[in-house]
Amino acid sequence: MPDPKRFLHPEAIRRITRLDLRARHIVEGFLSGMHRSPYFGQSVEFRQHRQYTFGDDLRYVDWKVWAKQDRFYVKQFEEDTNLRCTLLCDVSGSMRYGRGALTKYEYGCTITACLAYLLLRQQDSVGCVAFDEQPRTIVPLRTKRNHLDDIIQAMDVSEPRDKTGIFPVLRLVAETYPRRGMVVLVSDLLVERPGLLRGLKLLRSRGHDVMVFHVMDDDELDFPFTGPTRFEGLETDDALRCNPRALRQGYLDALGEYLAEVRHGCVANKVDYRLLRTSQPLDAALAAYLSSRLSTHHRN
Amino acid sequence: MPSFVFQPLLWGLLLVGVPVLIHLINMLRHRRVPWAAMEFLLQSQKRNRTWIMLKQLLLLLMRMAAVAAVVLVLAQPVLRSEWGRLFGGSKTHHVVLLDDSFSMADRWADTSAFEQAKAVIRRIGAQAAAQQQPQEFTLIRFSRVGRERRGSEIDLLQVTVDRDFEAGLERMLDDVRPSETAAGPLAALAEVRRLLGTTDDERRIVYLVSDFRTREWNEPTELKNRMQAIASDGAELHLVRCVDQQRDNLAIVSLRASPGSRAVGVPVFVEVAVRNYGASPARDVSVLLEENGQPRPAVRIAEIPPGETVEERFLVRFATAGQQQLVARLETDPVAADNHRYVTVDIPLDVPVLLIDDERAADARALSLALAPGGRAETGIRPVIETPRYLSIHPLDDYRAIYLLDVPHLDRSAVAALEEFVRNGGGLGIFLGEKSDSRFLNDQLYRYGKGVMPLPVTGPAELLVDRLQRAPDLRVEPHPIFRVFAGQRNPFLSTVNVTRYFATPEGWDLEPDPGAEVIARLRNGAPLVVTRPFDDGRVVAVLTTAAPTWNNWGRNNPSYVVTMLETQAFLAGQSGDGPDARVGTPVRLELDPGRYQSEVRVFQPGEETVSPSLTEAALADGAPVVELDETDRSGIYRIQLFRNDGGSEERWIAVNVEPDGGNLETLDGSQLADRLSGVPYQFEQAGTFRYAAGDEPGYNLAEAILYFLVILLLLEQVVAWWASYHPAAPRAALAQGGAA
Repeated sequence: MPDPKRFLHPEAIRRITRLDLRARHIVEGFLSGMHRSPYFGQSVEFRQHRQYTFGDDLRYVDWKVWAKQDRFYVKQFEEDTNLRCTLLCDVSGSMRYGRGALTKYEYGCTITACLAYLLLRQQDSVGCVAFDEQPRTIVPLRTKRNHLDDIIQAMDVSEPRDKTGIFPVLRLVAETYPRRGMVVLVSDLLVERPGLLRGLKLLRSRGHDVMVFHVMDDDELDFPFTGPTRFEGLETDDALRCNPRALRQGYLDALGEYLAEVRHGCVANKVDYRLLRTSQPLDAALAAYLSSRLSTHHRN
Repeated sequence: MPSFVFQPLLWGLLLVGVPVLIHLINMLRHRRVPWAAMEFLLQSQKRNRTWIMLKQLLLLLMRMAAVAAVVLVLAQPVLRSEWGRLFGGSKTHHVVLLDDSFSMADRWADTSAFEQAKAVIRRIGAQAAAQQQPQEFTLIRFSRVGRERRGSEIDLLQVTVDRDFEAGLERMLDDVRPSETAAGPLAALAEVRRLLGTTDDERRIVYLVSDFRTREWNEPTELKNRMQAIASDGAELHLVRCVDQQRDNLAIVSLRASPGSRAVGVPVFVEVAVRNYGASPARDVSVLLEENGQPRPAVRIAEIPPGETVEERFLVRFATAGQQQLVARLETDPVAADNHRYVTVDIPLDVPVLLIDDERAADARALSLALAPGGRAETGIRPVIETPRYLSIHPLDDYRAIYLLDVPHLDRSAVAALEEFVRNGGGLGIFLGEKSDSRFLNDQLYRYGKGVMPLPVTGPAELLVDRLQRAPDLRVEPHPIFRVFAGQRNPFLSTVNVTRYFATPEGWDLEPDPGAEVIARLRNGAPLVVTRPFDDGRVVAVLTTAAPTWNNWGRNNPSYVVTMLETQAFLAGQSGDGPDARVGTPVRLELDPGRYQSEVRVFQPGEETVSPSLTEAALADGAPVVELDETDRSGIYRIQLFRNDGGSEERWIAVNVEPDGGNLETLDGSQLADRLSGVPYQFEQAGTFRYAAGDEPGYNLAEAILYFLVILLLLEQVVAWWASYHPAAPRAALAQGGAA
C-alpha cells in the first residue's frame, strides 16, 4: 500500500504540477495519518463511525452500537464551523528565489492551496488575496468546493512585481473583511518591518486571528555561497560583487536581527508566527494551522 | 645593490603581476546569483567593507611578494656591499689542493684525470677573476708538501686574483704534469692549516681535487681529523673527483735479482712481478726487458687473474763487471708510471772468499773445491786460503764472505776485525772440528750472544750410529740455503752420515739467542747448522767439519757442493744491489772519506750528455754523506764519485714508483661519505663541477630569501583563511554546485 504521506516532501510534490491535485494529495495524506481528528465537530450531518480511543469525548460514544456489539464507537459529524479565513499569498518577485525542489513562490502557493482545500473540506469560507506591491487578485470568501479553482487561479502570476510595503495590503484586507475571521499570511516578509508590524496590529485590532507563515529558502538562512559572486536584487536594482564567505557572518547577523524583530513583533501582537524552510515537509504548515485552530477552538 | 648569479632570471619579476591578473580574471568570471535578501547582504558589506578591502590588499601583496621571492631565490642575489661584509663575505680565498700522484695520469678517451683536475682549477680561477670582490688563490700539489728534507714548495700562495691572474694560472697549469709519487692528501691538508691559519678575515673555500683512490682513504681517521679541523676553522670543503670509474691497470710491482754469488759470466736469476689491478684477467702480457740499454727477449705471462700478482724468473748473464742496469716495461695502459721498473745490479769480476784454516788446510781445500770446482762450472767465486794471522794484518773489505774452518784460536784484533767485517754486511761461515776450542768459541766468538758466533757450544760429541738407518742423520728445515732440496725426498742428503759434532748447552735449543735459527738438525735433534744475522751481515755456523772427517758429506756427495754454494749465496746476498728507493723519498749514500772526495756529481735519469754541477756532500758524524733529495722521477740515478787518487767511479741507484700506486680502485660519493661521516663537505664530479652558487663571493641571500618565502607562504595561508578565501566546507561546496 503506498504511503499516503509520500507527497508531503517538496521533492515529491514538485512532480505534481497541478496545484489542486497537490493540495488534495497533501491534505489527504496528512489527515490519513492522524489517529484522532482534531476538527470533527458538532453538526447535524453524520459523517462516519470511528473506534473509540482514549481521550475521545464520551458524549459522542454511540451506545447503540455498544449495546449491539459490545464495542465503543464514536460518532463523527461534518464540522460546521462557519470560519472565515482569508489567505494572503505573497507573489512578489522576491518569492521567485529558490534553488531547492520548490521556489519560495511555489512553496507558498502550495501551502495556500492546501489550507484552502482543508478549509473548504470542512465547509469553511475561504478567501484569498494574492499580492505584491498591492493586491493583485482578491478572491471573495466562499464555501463551495470548486472555489479552490478560483483561489489557485488567483495565485498564478506570470510577471511578478516588487513589493515595497505590505501595510497597504493588510489595511485593504482589514477594510475588505470587516467581520472577524482568520487571516493567514504566507510571505517571505522581505519588506520594511514597521509597516508589517503595523498591518498585523491593525488586523488583530479588527478581531482577526492572524497567522504568519514566513517562507525562507535554505540559502537565505544559511548563506552557503563561495567563490566570486555577483548578487543581483530580485526586487531592487542593487547588485553586489563580493567574496560571499567574507560577508557571510555579517549577513547572518543582520538576518538574525531581522528574524528576531519579526518574531518579537508577532508575539507582541499575538500573531501566530511560523518560519518555514522550503526544504521542510509541507505538512509543517498544516500542522501549525491545525494546532492554532485547536487552541482557538478551545479558547472559544 | 646586490648582484645576481643568474641575472637574466630577473625578468621573472614580471610575474609579480600574475596575482593581480588572476584577481582581475576572477572578477570577470564571477557567478551571477539573483538574490532576494539583498538588504542583509548590503548591511554586511557596509559593516565589513574596510576590513575586507584591507585583507584582500594584504593577501594580494603577499602573493605578489611570494612570486618575487621565488624569482629572487632562483636568481641568487649576492650582497657585496658593506652590509655583505657583516655576513662574512669580505674576501674569498680559494685553496686548491691538487692530487698529482701518478694515479692521476689515469687516461681514458682523449682526457685524463689530471686534465680534468686542471680544467676544474681553470674554472675556479676564471670565476674568481670575474668577481668584483677581493679574491685570493692558493694552489698546493700533493707531491710538493710533506717532504722529508726539502720542505714544502707551494705553487701559488695567497696570490691576489687580478686581471692577469687567469692568464698566469693558465701558463702555470700548462707546465704542471702528474708526478711519479704516490703522495696522499694528508700532508696537503696539514699544510692548509700550517700555512694559512684560521679564517678570521676571509671566507675560505678548500677544494680537494683528487681521484680518491681507495688505498689512500682506507684509514681515514687522520684525514677526517684534518678535514674536521679545516672545517672548524670556518672553511668550506669541496671534494672534486676527477675520475668517473675504475679502469683496468697492470703494474710491475717488483724487479730484483735473486740473491746469490754474482760475477761476470755467472748466470743470475732476475724476478719480475706484475700485478693486475683490474677486474678482469689479463692475458698474454709481455714484459719487455732492457739490459744496459739493450733490448732482451721479452718475458711473456700467459694470464694474470684480477687482483693477483704473477712472478716470472729469467736468467741474465752479465758479460762485464761493474754496475749493470735492468729495465722492465709493460705495454701502454691507463697509467704509464707503473709500467716500467728499474733495478741496478753490481757485478764484480769475481767473488773473493777468504777461507781461514791452519797450515794443513784440509777443510779449506774441501770447501774451496766445492765453491770453485773449476772447469765449465763457473761459479764466479775466488777462494783465498789464509791462516788466522791474515785476519789481523790485512783489510777484509774486498771479501764478500769469510769462513773460519776448524780454527782453534784467534787473537783479539782478528776477532774485532771479523766482527767489523760482518757488521758492515759481510758474511761469515764457521765450521768446527777436532781443533776447535769450545772455551775460545764461547768466550771470544759467542760472548754471551754479543759476538759473531750464533750459539754457545759445550764440546765435541759422538752421534751414535744408526745401524738400521731408519732416519737420515741430517734433517733440514725450510731455508734459502736448503731451498733446492725442499718439497722432495733427496737421496743425496739422506746419505749424509755425521759421526761427530759440537753439542750445544742443554736448554739452549729451547731458548735460543734472539735471531738465531736452527736450519739443520741431526738425527738426535741436536742443532747442526745455525744462522743468525749480525747487524748488516749474516753468520752461518756448521757444528761439524767442512772436510769429510767428522762426516762423509764432502765425499762424492753432490748435495755438499750445492749446499756450500747456496750458503755462499746466502752469506753474500746482503750486498751488491743498490738501495730499493722510492720516488719522492731521499736517497742517502755514505762516502768513505779516506777513499773519496766530498764532492760528487749527480746525474738525473736521462741526463747523459748534460754535465750537472758538483754537489758538496754533507757531513754526518764526521763522514761525508750524499743526500739525494730530488728523486721526483723514476729511473737510474748516477752518482759520480771522485776518488782521492784522482780517478772516479759511479754508483747507480734505481728509483721506482710506489708499487701499489697503480691500484686504481676509487671511492664513490657514498663510500666517501661513510669514511667522512661528521665532516661537512660537498662532493662533486669534475665533469659536472661548476662554480657553485654557494661559492659566489659576498653573502648569498638566496637561502635567507628562501626562509622568508616559507614564512611568507605560511602567513599567506593564514591571511587567506582570515579573509575567507580557503576552500569551503563540503556542505557549502554542495550548495555551490547546486547553484551552478
